[in-house]
Amino acid sequence: MATLNLKNIKKVYPHSGGEKKSKKKADAGEKKVNLQVTDEGVVAVQEFSLDIADKEFIVLVGPSGCGKSTTLRMVAGLEEISGGELYIDNQLMNDVEPKNRDIAMVFQSYALYPHMTVYENMAFPLKLRKTPKEEIDRRVKEAAEILDITQYLDRKPKALSGGQRQRVAIGRAIVREPKVLLMDEPLSNLDAKLRNQMRAEIIKLRQKINTTFIYVTHDQTEAMTLGDRIVIMKDGFIQQIGTPQEVFDHPANLFVAGFIGMPQMNFFDAKLEKDGGKYTVSVGGCRVELSGEKQAALAARNVAAQDITLGVRPNHIVLAGDTANALTAKVDVSEMMGSEVHLHANANGRDVVVIVPTLDLKGDTFGIGAEIHLTFGGNVCHVFDREGKNLEF
Amino acid sequence: MSQPAAALKKPVSVKKVILRVLLYFVVLDVCIITLYPYFAMLCTALKSRNEIFGGNTILPITALWSNFIDIWSRAPMAKYMLNSILIAGGSTIIAMLCGIPAAYALARMKFKGQTAFLGVIIVSQMFAPVVLLIGIYKVMLNMGLTDSILGLIFINAAFNQAFTVWLLRGTFMGISAEMEQAATIDGCTRVQSMMKVLLPVAAPGIVTTLIFIFINAWNEYTVALCLISTDTLKPLTVGINTFNGYNIIEWQYLFAASIFAIIPVVILFMCIEKNLVSGLASGGVKG
Repeated sequence: MATLNLKNIKKVYPHSGGEKKSKKKADAGEKKVNLQVTDEGVVAVQEFSLDIADKEFIVLVGPSGCGKSTTLRMVAGLEEISGGELYIDNQLMNDVEPKNRDIAMVFQSYALYPHMTVYENMAFPLKLRKTPKEEIDRRVKEAAEILDITQYLDRKPKALSGGQRQRVAIGRAIVREPKVLLMDEPLSNLDAKLRNQMRAEIIKLRQKINTTFIYVTHDQTEAMTLGDRIVIMKDGFIQQIGTPQEVFDHPANLFVAGFIGMPQMNFFDAKLEKDGGKYTVSVGGCRVELSGEKQAALAARNVAAQDITLGVRPNHIVLAGDTANALTAKVDVSEMMGSEVHLHANANGRDVVVIVPTLDLKGDTFGIGAEIHLTFGGNVCHVFDREGKNLEF
Repeated sequence: MSQPAAALKKPVSVKKVILRVLLYFVVLDVCIITLYPYFAMLCTALKSRNEIFGGNTILPITALWSNFIDIWSRAPMAKYMLNSILIAGGSTIIAMLCGIPAAYALARMKFKGQTAFLGVIIVSQMFAPVVLLIGIYKVMLNMGLTDSILGLIFINAAFNQAFTVWLLRGTFMGISAEMEQAATIDGCTRVQSMMKVLLPVAAPGIVTTLIFIFINAWNEYTVALCLISTDTLKPLTVGINTFNGYNIIEWQYLFAASIFAIIPVVILFMCIEKNLVSGLASGGVKG
């Protein structure tokens, strides 16, 4: 149980001799997209500020190389903090050794000790803290009970499956009852079925133990299902912090809009028009008046009429009966998913995905090249300026 | 519909049989070439002097097992063997004590000039001891370590250091650093994480290195021959030359002593052979 405060955290990997040379080369020719290279070095994380409440479950999510694992490792003390301040329970932790931070960590690769049994693995952190034997035994058995690994306590890690190993790794972390539990993509090595199962286990675990969680993943489903709040990162910067519903309903920019939600949000080149105090968006032959909430948000910011990128989620687009006030698209691929059909189409020069519930099809089939007419409501439109920023914010 | 097992079984082709026979033939040849010197050594050790110089049979007519007993009275064999154990054991311990931290630093830390340092280490391994002999002798003389077992321990440890560092560095690099990081979060200091986690996991690599150093030091001849003049301080490699006299070479004793010289190495190998089996490190991290 603990609060965490990360204030303007920064991580810079200094140049080595070789990298300086390659930097010159890169400057002359191509430029690396993800990495921000400065004279100081390669910037992995910057301006990372976040206040985490006691017992909160925070998920850091983003694509590979966005700095989420680096941030977690800085909290753990495995990476030096180049700038900014990290507080755990209001105590500055920047220069405190990992073992003195009262944190535990679950690694993607499990990082179990192969020469020890499951019991010894779980007892290891307690032994180091010179906990009495009876207490160690009680706590290990309790954790094993929670994680359903009691029958494997005498086995070595190599005799366990991937899922069981990850349970042991979680067991080793919770047995100490740490202030903060850090998890670095703990489910990434598991197959899809096991991942779903373990995700549910983590949700259950969270209810059983009183601790603050920081969880790193690149999987937006994990982020959405596990987190109280999620932090979306890209290229070392925080893009948005919010509850799963907030970031899904009100993405701060195009990146968040595209990253959260599966299949990803559709984007159209559109126009935002202001007609008699009312905001409308028009794309192709479709003109939609924005909902009252969005009207108010845009009016409050006094947003002018302009060219925009319009975002609409695939399940918010509906098939229109006729061409009146609808966007015409041509089907490229039709994927039958059972309860719904995913139509991949081309509209207005952009690829569009539309999810149509099978029940709504009424016997219609969509072959390649079939023409469909799309429409959507004003409450599901996300309006971004040409730089990708949500105009409602 | 399932077919009978006999129908599914492929007929063995003649070509495959010939290839298999040829393979066994080659393996047998290699075994004979490798083992024949040892066989000849054993046969000679069991012969009498007259039979060695007079007879022309490979096998001894009468096996003189007493040769193996006689050598202990004709030369201070026990002392030679003890010296060899001290030199090989001592240099192995020193080489490992210096090599493990050095290899750990090279595997886990980044510092300026690391590549150059590794290069220098490997270059140092390229000099044959004979080339350095005069220099080594002078250094040992200045340190008062000529004609001393301690001197030989230091020299053998130094000669094996480069190999130790390189081999252990490779072993440590093959072990996930996350395991040690997990240990530091669990409450270990850096040294504790190395001792409690890294070294047990690296045991197969450490044992391989240990055997290599021990055998190298056990077999070392040139430096020992030049530095040691007192008979009771000689290691086995130099000591068995007692049977190689000015007027006559006692081949039977020379070979009997050589067989004794092999035994400790074989015993060491047999004792720790199980540690050489790889796979101890498997299972700790996702493979």
